[in-house]
Amino acid sequence: MMRPKAWVGLGLVGFVVLLGIVGPWLAPYGPIDQIEGANLVGPSSAHWLGTDEVNRDVLSRTLSGIRIDLLVVFLAVPVGAAVGVLVGLVTSWWNVTDVITQRVFDVVLAFPTLIFAIALSAFIGPGVWTIALVIVSLEVPVFGRLVRTSVRSVREMPYVEAAQVTGAGSWWVLRRHVLPNSLEPLTVQLAVSMSVAVFIEAAMSFLGIGVQAPHPSLGSLIKDGTTLMYDAPFLALGPLALVLALVLGLLLISQSLSEAHRD
Amino acid sequence: MTETSDLLQVDHLAISFAHPRPAVNDISLSIVEGEVLALVGESGSGKSMTARAVLGLLPPGARASGSIRFRGEEVLGLPEDQLARLRGRRIAMVFQEPQTALNPVRTVGWQIREVLRAHGRISAAAARKRAVELLEEVEIPEPERRIGHYPHQLSGGQKQRVVLALALANEPELLLADEPTTALDVTVQAEILALLRRIRDRTGTSILLITHNMGVVAEIADRVVVLRQGDVVETGTTREVFGAPQHAYTRQLLDSVLSLPAAGDFVHPVPAPEPPQEAPALRFDSVFVEYGSSRRGRAFPAVQGVSLDVAPGEVLGLVGESGSGKTTLGRLAAGLVPLAGGSVHVHGEDLFSSSPARRRELGRDLAFVHQDPEASLDPRMSVGASIREPLDIHRVGTPASRRARVAELLEAVRLPADVARRRPRELSGGQRQRIAMARALVLGPQLMIADEPTSALDVSVQADVLALFGELQQQFGFACIFISHDLAVVNSVADRVAVLRNGELVESGPVAQVFGSPSHPYTQRLLAAVPAAEPKEPKEPRPAHLAS
Amino acid sequence: MLSYLLRRVPSALGVLFVASFLIFLMLRLIPGDPVDALAGQDATDESRQAIREELGLDEPFWSQYLSWIGGLFRLDLGQSYRIGGSVRELLANGALNTVVLAVTALLIAVTLALVTSLVAVIRDSRWLNAMLAGLNTLGLALPTFASGLLLVLLFAVVFPLLPSGGTPPDGYLARPDITVQYLLLPAICLALPVWAGLTRFLTESLRSQMRQPYVTTARAAGVSRRRLVIRHALPNALPSTVTVLGIQVGTLLGGAVLVEQIFTWPGLGSLIESAISGRDYPVVQVLLLLSVAVFVITQLLTDVLQAWLDPRIRIGGAR
Repeated sequence: MMRPKAWVGLGLVGFVVLLGIVGPWLAPYGPIDQIEGANLVGPSSAHWLGTDEVNRDVLSRTLSGIRIDLLVVFLAVPVGAAVGVLVGLVTSWWNVTDVITQRVFDVVLAFPTLIFAIALSAFIGPGVWTIALVIVSLEVPVFGRLVRTSVRSVREMPYVEAAQVTGAGSWWVLRRHVLPNSLEPLTVQLAVSMSVAVFIEAAMSFLGIGVQAPHPSLGSLIKDGTTLMYDAPFLALGPLALVLALVLGLLLISQSLSEAHRD
Repeated sequence: MTETSDLLQVDHLAISFAHPRPAVNDISLSIVEGEVLALVGESGSGKSMTARAVLGLLPPGARASGSIRFRGEEVLGLPEDQLARLRGRRIAMVFQEPQTALNPVRTVGWQIREVLRAHGRISAAAARKRAVELLEEVEIPEPERRIGHYPHQLSGGQKQRVVLALALANEPELLLADEPTTALDVTVQAEILALLRRIRDRTGTSILLITHNMGVVAEIADRVVVLRQGDVVETGTTREVFGAPQHAYTRQLLDSVLSLPAAGDFVHPVPAPEPPQEAPALRFDSVFVEYGSSRRGRAFPAVQGVSLDVAPGEVLGLVGESGSGKTTLGRLAAGLVPLAGGSVHVHGEDLFSSSPARRRELGRDLAFVHQDPEASLDPRMSVGASIREPLDIHRVGTPASRRARVAELLEAVRLPADVARRRPRELSGGQRQRIAMARALVLGPQLMIADEPTSALDVSVQADVLALFGELQQQFGFACIFISHDLAVVNSVADRVAVLRNGELVESGPVAQVFGSPSHPYTQRLLAAVPAAEPKEPKEPRPAHLAS
Repeated sequence: MLSYLLRRVPSALGVLFVASFLIFLMLRLIPGDPVDALAGQDATDESRQAIREELGLDEPFWSQYLSWIGGLFRLDLGQSYRIGGSVRELLANGALNTVVLAVTALLIAVTLALVTSLVAVIRDSRWLNAMLAGLNTLGLALPTFASGLLLVLLFAVVFPLLPSGGTPPDGYLARPDITVQYLLLPAICLALPVWAGLTRFLTESLRSQMRQPYVTTARAAGVSRRRLVIRHALPNALPSTVTVLGIQVGTLLGGAVLVEQIFTWPGLGSLIESAISGRDYPVVQVLLLLSVAVFVITQLLTDVLQAWLDPRIRIGGAR
């Protein structure tokens, strides 16, 4: 029943998630341990992904850095999505609250994400929680708008009108009809938003406003690798491959979800 | 029957799909020049697929076998570029839904020019001249002005005329018309049918007319091919088929056609109800409804000063063409549209000035059945949950008693009890409308508003559902507003009828009186436009080889 | 048409005003005093007070905000705290670089998206579709910095064909051939995700238009597939595509920050980073407001363009 695309996507995401969970036990070294005499050595049996300029094992740092991305993908995005869905459901039913909420969403979405991230990091300082907050405040309006479209179309449906005529209140209709019928577009958007979240983490850490040294995340590892791109191009490869795998997997899942809904 | 003089000859056509779907088993038919052949059948009979196969327009994944010859040459399986030369120039096609059959972002003139250019170079001036000619031919007023218009600026009937103009642009020898009048009002349908006949008489173009409507067949066709589930069940001249149908299915099809009383006919099975002693189930007191935002000053009236009563236990038919306000009036009674003036009383209680809580209570006595069987049930809910929903809303009884009530109603609408566990998409349109009725009746309402509940159904299914409706109405004794564009349907279910036009009440009274001897000219016109399911006098002698 | 535009303007202005207030408020709430950054560690209270008065930071919040807004209307964007010059001059140079980069990227993305989706839908061959879908997913999945690094590695390090960064030394107009060399890599890098998103959307909506009854009508009249796609389906797919493009412009602005960093392109992106770390309020607030303004104006333009492309909005219901 499921298409190969979905299996590949699930496989890629599952692989990265598994690495993130068991990674720290597999890691030969601690993420911030400095190893004597191993400065910028290339990939070898001792250091699969080589070591960096301050003698740290890149494989161990990568395995530990995945967790930050998992936190962002599987916690920040769902939280933002849940808040957005709730706000969208409740406010879009009544015209006054709908207009107000949509204007607020307009303003929030008017800031390009990365520029919003830079501004926010200046406000509360850089760090993991800043990344999470950026993602939550981006996803609330994204999901709020999506739910609004559903509310607006489902409330016109004959079966909703039939229920209303018999005496169903707004809350009844939202809970029993609107929410179940919006789940399909929401799951597709959830997968898309998760892949965007990986991007945001990576981009923020890349710009130095995400996870702070010496703690690793996939984004900060790529940034570290690129500063030494000409001397040690191998440094960024591992984390880059993992980011690609995660984003690609999530995109494939979202694509196969939306294709399945269309059929 | 295989003379080469046949314009189109279809032999043992079969069409199949990878996944189960209405397909064509074995269809053979032929059309001679200048003939109107009707292809009749209900949904799933394969009538549209057969026509599409002639032009190579089958949906992706469809496989066709057998033979389709046009002027003796095989067209089935021709490559796309050769088909393109055939399409429009020698065989043209007209589709059912004029609302979507035209390109919404191009002008009428552009679309005609495009069709002309598909078959050779033509100068802009010549194309324009031809476009005006074509619009004149399909009898569109002010053709010079209309060629600059976009489809959304035209009425439904005008759109269908433009679609016809596109089909006639390259003077085809055969016109395939797939339900060309189904989406139109009866008076417009009558005009389009007359136009088709005039075009055939003037140009000699043969017409293959696909329809489910026996009235339309009787009106225009020379010969008839009756299809059922992908097979031909009967072929013959229109007079033969209507006069002495050979096959049981044809007879069934003809029997399920509802008829209108002939002029002066005053007999009606249901006696007129006695004057009501109690308060009317529903009273409209010179109601007004406006559409569009009144704040922007763009509101236009949808209903203007209509006063009507529905007595308890009475069925009031609401008829009219599109834009007449009949649906709006029904939605008003259900409290779904705001009232702009006048008052609506349900069982003597003012609907629009009662509190929201009281209105919810009034809802227990109110039920609404919608036209579209696709959308009248929540696709995510089981059938049982849908029927139970009103009980859940008003917290009636225990879970067990609710389940029992659902089973009771499923029996009342004659569906097996295990349907309760199924999803709407697993059911047919007729079954879904039965379930919508069961849901409407679950609280035992005093008033039902039924908005075209059978118009999306096949004739034989429609006949069943209408019969069921009649029984349920007797059994439950509810009053009902029955909205329909189909006068014959209203004739068969309603006690009284109200005719609406442009939001105003034209005429109302007992059905037998209004339909038997209409007093208003509009009602007379409406009745005259309904095609009767009996053929008229033979129009012209048939070609010799057909008579054999 | 004009009245349609005029109806949209007030809400756009509203968004801008609310955003300007939020930006101003947010920057005042940021922990850390710009005076600390300017005066240095061991400044006396008197010299700190002098700086404060000179910058107008001793005035109440509302009057600071109003004088800033008033200045904006006179195109007086204020003075930079750190670099000293007027913000307007500081921005002018960076803005030129960013605009050149962003517009080039946008043109590349739109042209390529049109060509690829039209070819894909007209040809409709299985392997071509599979290849394009793969390329597309890759374009969406590849983070901008990753594609940037790959481009630099490939075309500047392994095969040293193009400069790895910087702007043309003699300006954009002196030697067009050199300008192209400098512009090519960053513009492609910036265009890639926009191309991928746009192509995916346009291809999908062309395909769904091709299933519409009006296309069947034209096909039944003998119009060829090529004409069906280009002359019938495309004009119907464009209005919604324009909306998507408007949203992509936001992606483009965010991506520009990254691309400018990778290719050491001295535009507004690098300016905003240094200004934020240096607490240079006047520069930061103008830059933030500018990015919001670009977004709001883009939305306005796409609305208007959409109305112009769709006669149902342009002419309205005559019946």
